[in-house]
Amino acid sequence: MTRRISKGRQRVEMVKMKNASNLQVTFSKRRAGLFKKASELCTLCGVEIAIVVFSPGDKVFSFGHPSVDTLVERFLGRDLPPPNNDVHNQLIVAHREAGIRELNMKLMNLEEVLQMEKNRGESLQEIRRRANGQWWESPIEELNLFQLQHLKEALERLEQKVEKVAQQQKMVNNHAFPFHTLGSAWTPPNCARESSSYGLNGGAPFANRAIGSTSSIVPNY
Amino acid sequence: MTRKKVKLAFITNDSARKATFKKRKKGLMKKVSELSTLCGIDACAIIYSPYDTSPEVWPNTMGAQRVLAEFKRMPEMEQSKKMVNQESFIRQRIAKASEQLKKQSKENREKEMTEVMYQGLTGKGLQNLNLGDLNDLGWVIDQNLKEVYKRIEAVKKGASTSSSSSVAAAAAAAVAAAAASQAVPPPMEQKPAVVELGLDPMQRTQTEWFTDWMNSNTSDQHIGYGHADEMILPNFNDNHNANVWPNNFYP
Repeated sequence: MTRRISKGRQRVEMVKMKNASNLQVTFSKRRAGLFKKASELCTLCGVEIAIVVFSPGDKVFSFGHPSVDTLVERFLGRDLPPPNNDVHNQLIVAHREAGIRELNMKLMNLEEVLQMEKNRGESLQEIRRRANGQWWESPIEELNLFQLQHLKEALERLEQKVEKVAQQQKMVNNHAFPFHTLGSAWTPPNCARESSSYGLNGGAPFANRAIGSTSSIVPNY
Repeated sequence: MTRKKVKLAFITNDSARKATFKKRKKGLMKKVSELSTLCGIDACAIIYSPYDTSPEVWPNTMGAQRVLAEFKRMPEMEQSKKMVNQESFIRQRIAKASEQLKKQSKENREKEMTEVMYQGLTGKGLQNLNLGDLNDLGWVIDQNLKEVYKRIEAVKKGASTSSSSSVAAAAAAAVAAAAASQAVPPPMEQKPAVVELGLDPMQRTQTEWFTDWMNSNTSDQHIGYGHADEMILPNFNDNHNANVWPNNFYP
């Protein structure tokens, strides 16, 4: 993925958009943003809001706190105004609000972690960009047949080595447990971080290969 | 817009809450209006607050009634399909953020392990890696191998027309490679003659040209690259293989 330098915040003219697909994208984004703002307003000021929007494709999106239907009925005058505010009701509301608070916190944390991962992605990208790479780091399309064949063999050798080292580590770990007692001075260094995606499959270490596990790597390149 | 980040919690201070309500309500109505205009769609917003007995409405009471009538005319399922309250809305956003995080983490892991793979190719040791790392490293190597196999097949089928550009690329890469003292050892031992690689006459000539050019350039470019804590192959321990490298690799 190339580094896209976006144009930044642009002023938009308040007329119906011409490009149909841009219009659809704008609708999706702004609708989500609108609901987000409404949700915040409800939480911050303890108010009740209903929003109904029709999409360019004639589908309906609606947001309502506490609920779309009760608010719509209230507005259209088809119910008894206003809903009673006894203790029972207050408890229900308080409970609901607490749940929302928790969810909001969970979301905030998640977004923070996501941002951190995005930043990490950027720096990894930088490392790659700045790396004075060897010929085998070029895109595969740029290699000729001999280079490809040498690369192939080098990778295969590396793969074998990785499997060998993995086998060694497995053996060390397997022997660890009979000796490991509480408070023992000898703790297998990486035991706790053994990943769940690694199948302890003796015959084929990488048979259940999946990526995305714990890392002990401290950047040292 | 804001100088301080507002905590997403009920504002206990009455006047602050009222002020916030006024501002944000105005902003919200503006956003609905913009959405409606930019996308040419029907919409309405209704806000009940303790500050007013009658609700605030966009666009106005009549307009909202019209939109809601249209809304109510739709089948129940269509109405509910995209209906959310605060809880379900936040849950949706959590799900989306989780997905993005999972994807980004995987991407990052792949990038990270690719760096490790490149270092592994120069002989760097694998001892700092735990089983999880090794597993992921194996995965990345696997993916790369698959690509290489595919590409080899494609090139063999004579599909590649880029022989000239690959020589150019090889030339550029060769300078960097010459600077590298540790490199992927050739599968065949120390074969000095270019002929041994089974190069056709044209490629052989290019290699010889290459070697001469490289020999005249290698003097100051011997930058140590890679820290060979551990070698991949024990017989590759000569720091002066810069000359061997191009002979075998640059047809």
